[in-house]
Amino acid sequence: MLLWRQFAMEWKLYSRDRAAMFWTFAFPILMLLGFGVIFRGGDAPRLSVVWVKPSQMAPKDEALLKTLEQFPTKLITLSPSEAESRWSKGETAVQIEPINDSFRMKVNSYLVAQGQMTAQVVQQAFLISQSQLQGQPMPKLIPVSMESPGHAKATNYAAFLLPGLLGMNLMSMGLFAVGMVNVSYREKGKFRRLAVTPLPKWIFLLGQVMHRLTVTLIQTIFLLIVGRLVFGIENQGSYLLLTVVMVLGTACFMAMGFALSSFADTSETYAAISNLLFFPMMFLSGVYFTLDAAPKWLQQAVIALPLSPFLKALRAVFNDGAALTTHLLGLGIVVIWTALCFGLAVKRFRWA
Amino acid sequence: MSDLALRIRGLKKQYPNVLAVAGVDLDVKRGEVFGLLGPNGAGKTTTLEMIEGLTEADSGEMEILGLNWKQNASEIRARIGVQLQSTSLFNKITPREALTLYGGYYPKARTADELLELVQLTDKADAYHITLSGGQMQRLALAMALVNDPELVFLDEPTTGLDPQARQSLWAVVRKIKSEGRTVILTTHYMDEAEALCDRLAIMDHGQVLTSGTPAELISQLALPSVVELSFEGRAPAAESFATLLGTPIDVRGDLWEIPTPDPKTLLPRLLEGAETHEIPYQQVHVRRATLEDVFLHKTGRSLRE
Repeated sequence: MLLWRQFAMEWKLYSRDRAAMFWTFAFPILMLLGFGVIFRGGDAPRLSVVWVKPSQMAPKDEALLKTLEQFPTKLITLSPSEAESRWSKGETAVQIEPINDSFRMKVNSYLVAQGQMTAQVVQQAFLISQSQLQGQPMPKLIPVSMESPGHAKATNYAAFLLPGLLGMNLMSMGLFAVGMVNVSYREKGKFRRLAVTPLPKWIFLLGQVMHRLTVTLIQTIFLLIVGRLVFGIENQGSYLLLTVVMVLGTACFMAMGFALSSFADTSETYAAISNLLFFPMMFLSGVYFTLDAAPKWLQQAVIALPLSPFLKALRAVFNDGAALTTHLLGLGIVVIWTALCFGLAVKRFRWA
Repeated sequence: MSDLALRIRGLKKQYPNVLAVAGVDLDVKRGEVFGLLGPNGAGKTTTLEMIEGLTEADSGEMEILGLNWKQNASEIRARIGVQLQSTSLFNKITPREALTLYGGYYPKARTADELLELVQLTDKADAYHITLSGGQMQRLALAMALVNDPELVFLDEPTTGLDPQARQSLWAVVRKIKSEGRTVILTTHYMDEAEALCDRLAIMDHGQVLTSGTPAELISQLALPSVVELSFEGRAPAAESFATLLGTPIDVRGDLWEIPTPDPKTLLPRLLEGAETHEIPYQQVHVRRATLEDVFLHKTGRSLRE
């Protein structure tokens, strides 16, 4: 009864906190919708090239354009003045212009990654068009398609992102909704005020934990529904395994929040400590992109943080419908973190 | 049933760098308002925290309503009401909700309406906590301390930081609490508050009780119940040589010379004559009865809010 009242009060007060509601429920869905739509479809994204139209098209120009069509490029044909104004606004990554019997290519130094890649494609197309002009046949191109590595059934970026967002949600719940909140309760004396009442403290904490768990459950269900309705993403694996992985992750990040909160006396200190974990995990654990291109040592280092192995296991179940047998080591890391954090929390948790 | 609401003997608390409470004895009778008076850092709050069960004492005996923390912790909690120095609530909880929530923690509770009426917050009953003024927040904190109909109420600096009007209205509530037959223990560093509210009080400094009694007793304990004040324009000049001449000590405080005396009638003519001869540039002379402030100054050698 007391527990139920405590839980109901948590929900009542939480529902009045618009900002928290937005970040918890709306933000992950907006992320999924935003990035899911931007990177929609299984095709490779088109690399755009600005083509400065000459007053008269020479055979070499025709040949280059024709060859470029074979590549995943999007040609934007502009007059010299239009091309110049687009370039000066910085919107052009690569611009190519016929000059006498050759071409001139400019690469935007601000868009260096995209620019370099496009420039290489154009270089290749140029070489091929040259050999065609000399009467040689069109060489065979290697067909390119964009797929998510190691995920047999994931068809689009949204399907990759959704489990990442589930992991992010758990991490924010643990580090902020649990850890940060408890530091501020201690700092502001809310725990002391409770301590002079006969309310057993575990009821207060359990009410809080139950509230966070229901929030996480609702968050997860929202994301799954939106993913399914908008992007047709479905859980490829068993719901039992999905639940197992989610429960392990929830326990881990909740324990982490309690443990970290015991190392800080003020909210400011807590923010500094938690960011030391939050940001590396957010960017290096494969929430938004895989780390396949990162140096090997970095990939191995982030495996030691719990979010990365958690997401690998979650994606294996959710995206590939796999069993967890190949992820036992990763889940073991998650469990070890949970045990460590739980132990620290029990040993160090302070009310005042 | 003992007629003491609180009985303490030899209470001690050592913090890493300071002996916060160095052996305190207190007796508080049922139904009285008892004040712990002293400057910041005197050990008032630590003493209160040990009585409230928030801090464990290193040694000493304590009986609260005839009970002790080791054996009757939850019964004590159910029968005392505590207002901490600052009470932090959720920004978006209303006074009515806060009182109902905290009332739910106790075996018996007064209704929110009744408490809101008592502290005159009825018209703010459903406003978010964050929209209340400082005085209203303090009155809500006071109402929360009364939610379980407690026999013994602790108020830790209830009026610090409030404007004079808000203090007056809080004092009125404290008097009402007393009239309901409850025992009140409060800390303060305001002399006027202690004189206005407390039946008895103890003056603390450096973790010890220096003296205790009713305000009148404490003042009459002073051997020098009157004070002659000479006021100056700007800071008062040094007084050593004149004090030697006069044969009585002079306290220099701000723009005043304060001369405690048992007999202002004899002192005054000599004082004024001496001041004339030595061309002391005083503006006014004022004779007053000693106050708690003088008791404090006399006992601790320093002023209360230094």
